[in-house]
Amino acid sequence: MAGEVRAGERRQRRGEDPERQFQWVVPKKRKASVYEDLTLDTQPSVHRFMRNGWYCSFPDGRGTWDDASTELAVATWSAFRDPNELWERPYYQQGAQCEKEIDAAVEGARAEGLNAGMPDAWVEFLRRDGQVTAFVEHGIWSIATRRSRAALSDVLTHGIVLYAAMKQRQAQAHVIHGMDLDQDLGDVTIEAAKERWLQAEAWQPTRRLVERMGTITDWAELIVVSGLVVEPLLGAGLRRELLLRPALANADPVTPVIARNAQREWAWWRDFSQAFTEFVLTDEEHGAANRDIVERWLASWEPEARAAVDALEPVFSTAPRADFAAGREAVVIDQEALKAACGLSTEVPA
Amino acid sequence: MATQQTRRRSVTQTHERVAQLGWKRSYHEPVPIYDTRYVFPDKAKDPMKQVMRDYLPMQLEKDERVYGGFDAALRAGMPTKADERWLQIMKPLILILVYAEGAAGRCMSVVMDVVPNEELLNGYHVQFVDEVRHIGMQMNLARWYAKNTPDPAGWHKGQEYMAENLFTRAGVNMFSHSFTGDPIAAGFTMMTVIETAFTNVAFVALPDVATRNGDFIQATTYSSVQSDEARHISNGYATMLTVLQEPENIPLIQHDLQQAWWIVHAFVDPFVGTIMEYFSTDRSDEESYLTKWDRWIRDDWYRSYVEQLGKMGVDIPPAMFERARERLVAGLHHKTAPLAFATWPLAFWKFDPLTQTDFEWFERQYPGWYDEYGATWEAYAALADPEENALLLSGLLDGAPPFCFTCMLACVLDDDMCHRTCQDRHGVERTRFYCSPECKWLDETNPGRYTGDRNYFDKHHGKALSEVIVELGLLRADGKTLVGQPHLRTDRMWTLDDIRAADLQITSPNITTAEAMGLPCGSWHDEGDPFGAVQGDGNGFQPVTLYGGGGGTNGDGRNGYSLDDLAAAAVGSTPWVKL
Repeated sequence: MAGEVRAGERRQRRGEDPERQFQWVVPKKRKASVYEDLTLDTQPSVHRFMRNGWYCSFPDGRGTWDDASTELAVATWSAFRDPNELWERPYYQQGAQCEKEIDAAVEGARAEGLNAGMPDAWVEFLRRDGQVTAFVEHGIWSIATRRSRAALSDVLTHGIVLYAAMKQRQAQAHVIHGMDLDQDLGDVTIEAAKERWLQAEAWQPTRRLVERMGTITDWAELIVVSGLVVEPLLGAGLRRELLLRPALANADPVTPVIARNAQREWAWWRDFSQAFTEFVLTDEEHGAANRDIVERWLASWEPEARAAVDALEPVFSTAPRADFAAGREAVVIDQEALKAACGLSTEVPA
Repeated sequence: MATQQTRRRSVTQTHERVAQLGWKRSYHEPVPIYDTRYVFPDKAKDPMKQVMRDYLPMQLEKDERVYGGFDAALRAGMPTKADERWLQIMKPLILILVYAEGAAGRCMSVVMDVVPNEELLNGYHVQFVDEVRHIGMQMNLARWYAKNTPDPAGWHKGQEYMAENLFTRAGVNMFSHSFTGDPIAAGFTMMTVIETAFTNVAFVALPDVATRNGDFIQATTYSSVQSDEARHISNGYATMLTVLQEPENIPLIQHDLQQAWWIVHAFVDPFVGTIMEYFSTDRSDEESYLTKWDRWIRDDWYRSYVEQLGKMGVDIPPAMFERARERLVAGLHHKTAPLAFATWPLAFWKFDPLTQTDFEWFERQYPGWYDEYGATWEAYAALADPEENALLLSGLLDGAPPFCFTCMLACVLDDDMCHRTCQDRHGVERTRFYCSPECKWLDETNPGRYTGDRNYFDKHHGKALSEVIVELGLLRADGKTLVGQPHLRTDRMWTLDDIRAADLQITSPNITTAEAMGLPCGSWHDEGDPFGAVQGDGNGFQPVTLYGGGGGTNGDGRNGYSLDDLAAAAVGSTPWVKL
C-alpha cells in the first residue's frame, strides 16, 4: 500500500513470531494497538486486498463502496486513525459510565432533596427549554447514522457510528431527565419541548441548520461540518454555555452531570474530526485540493451556524445566570482554535 | 452514597417520550443516497423499545463476561485442549463472519436512509452499534486464536487471504447483498433471511459443535452475539410488517424475499454444512446438518414465519424452499467438500483427512455416503504426504464443474447447472455458468449487480500452481512452507518445492467447460482490467448486454430482454423462475 511499511516486516526484524501477529495491520506506533488489530480491514477495499474488484454493485454502477461517496481524496483511507482509539469495549464502558453517573445524580438529588434548592426561574427554564437540545442531538444522530455506511474505511465507519450512538445517548438523556423532573416537579413534558423546537422563533435557525444537515450526502462533509462547525459552535454553546455553567450556578444537581458527560463525548469527536481534517489536508497528492473543498464546506456552513447561535440569545436570556455574550465569545474562540489546530484559516467566511 | 434507589422508569413511557424526538421537517427534507422501490405507510411500530440507559449497561455486562471468558479459557489451557481440526477451520469462518457483521451494520444504515418511520430508526441504529460490538468481539477471538493456539499460520494475513480465497470471497459476495441495491431488499436479505433463519445455525448450532470439540471460547463469543440477534430479528419483522401495510409492496416482497432466500442458501448451506460436518473430530452429535436445517430453517423459519406471511397476503410458492432442501439431500455440501479439500494449497488453513470414525458417522447420517464419496476421501488421505508427489487437485480440476457467476461456488449438481451467454463491456461474447436456474434468475433480473473478476480460476488459467501460491502470498514465515496443508501434522509439511515437483498447471473449469460444450469463452477475466471483464474501473460498471442462452428470439441465438421485461421481473409480476 502506498507509503506504508508492512507491519509484519517490521516485527520480523525484531524477532517476534510473525505468524502470531496480524501482519495486515500497519500500526501507527511501534506496535499495533488492540484498536488497530480489531478494527483495520474489517471493511475490505479494492484499494487494499480485494484485487478482483467489488463482487456486488448497485444498479447505477456504484461499487460495494464508492470512491465518489466523498469529494475528498487521499492515498489510503485506511491509514486514518482515531487518536483516542475508540472501539466497542471502551465505548460501552464509557457510555455505561455516563448513564450510571446520571442515574446516581438523580438518586442523590432525590435522596437529599436537592431539587428543592433550585431557583424557580431555573426550574421554569428547564420546563421550557431544558429538553429542546435533545432535538438537536437527535437530528444530528439521524444523519450521522445514515452516512456511516458509505465511509471508505472501517476506522471511519466505526467512528461515525459511535458518534451517532453518542448523539442518541445524549438526546435520550435529556428526555429521561425530563421524565424524572416531571415526576419530581411536575409539568415537564416532551410535548412542550417539541412545541418550542417547532415553533419558538429563537430555535428556528437552529432547527433549520439541523434539518439542513440531513441533506448532506458526503460522509466526509458530515465529519467536517459536525466536528468543526456545528458541534463547537452550536453543540458546545448549548451544552456548556446554556446548560452546564448556568446549571452549576443554579444548584441544579443533575443537568451538569448530563452536560458534562456529553461534553466528554464531544471532546472525543472533536479530536476525531481534527485528526480527520489534518489527515486529509496533509495528504501529499490531494491535500491542496482537499483544503479547497474543506474551506468551501466551512464557508457554506459557518455563517448559518453562527446565525443559529446568535438567534438563541432570547433563550439564554431566560436562563438565570446564563451569559450569552460570554458564552458566544467562548465558543467562537474555541472553534477558531480548533480550526487553527487543523491548519485552517481562522477567518470567518462571509 | 445515596441509599434510595432510582424509581424504576416505565419502559413504555420512556420509549413513548423518546419516540417524540422525531419531527416532520419543514426547512429541508432529508436527502437519501440510496433508492428504494418500496412505499411506506405513515405508522410503524418499534417492537424493541431500546433506550440507551438500559442498553449500554446491558451490553457492557455481556462484554465483561465474554472478555473475562478469554482469560479463563487461557488459564484452562483451552488453546491446546481444543481440537486442532476444528481450530483450523476457525480461520476462514471467523473472518467471513466478521465481514457478515459489518454487512449487517451497514445494512442498518442503508435501511435508515430510506425508511421514513421514526419509530423504526432507533432499533436499526442500536443494531448497527451491536454489529460494531460483534466485529470487536470476533476480531478479538481471531487475535486470541492467533496468539495462543498451536498453529497460527493463516491468521497472520487473514484479512488479506480472506479477500482472495476461493470460498470466503463467495461469502463476501453473498453478505454484500445485504447492503447494496434496494435497501429494503437488502434488509430482507440480512434481517429476514440471514438473521432470522440462519443465525440459529451459525450462532447456536455451530457453537455447540465448537464445544464438542473443546473450543469453549468460540461458543462463549458467539452465544453473546446470538443474544443480540433476537432484537435484530425483531427489526426484520417490524420492517416486514411496516411495508406489508401497503398493498403495492406485496409483489416486491414476494420477489425480494425469494431472491434473498436463494442467495443466502446458495452460500451458507454448502459452506456451513461443510464446516460443521467435515471439520468436527467429535462424532458424538447424531444430528446431521440436514436435521439441524430441518429444525432451524424449515420448521422454525419457513413454516413458522414465511408460511404465516401468507395470512397477510404474501404468496410465496414453496418451491424455492423445497428446492434448497432437495439440493442438500442431493449432496450439495458433500459434493462441495471434496473440492474444498482438494484446493488445500490455495487455502489459509489446514485440512485434516477424514478417518474411519468419520466415515462411520457420515454413513450413519447419510446412508450410501461412503459408496458415493468414500473413494475420493481415501484418495485424499493417501496423497496427504508430499512423498507421494501428487495432488488430488490435478485429477479433480480437469473434470471439475465450473463456478457459478452468481453465488461464486462450484456448480456441483449436474442437473441444476445451466448457463447463458452475454457480451462483456468490449462486446465480446462470453458464457456465464450457474449452479442453478435460481442463480441464473438472480443474475438476469439484477443487471449490474454481479461485478468483479468473479470466476476464481479464470485469472490463473495456464499458470503453475506454485506461481499462484506465491502470488497469493500463501507461504509461512520460512518463505517456503505452505500455509495450507492437507493434514495436521507438523512434520512432512508441503513446501513450494513439493508443489513444483507435483507440476500442476491451473485450468479454469469455466474455460474448459465452455470449450467442451462449444460455447463462447467461459472466462470473465480481462487482462486489461484487474477487476475483470464485467466492470471498467472497479467503481462503476458498464452494463453488459443481457440475453439468455439457448435458441433465442432474436435470430442470433439471443433472447431479447427489454427494459420493461427487467422492470416487470424486478417487481415480481413474472414467474419467479421456470425450472
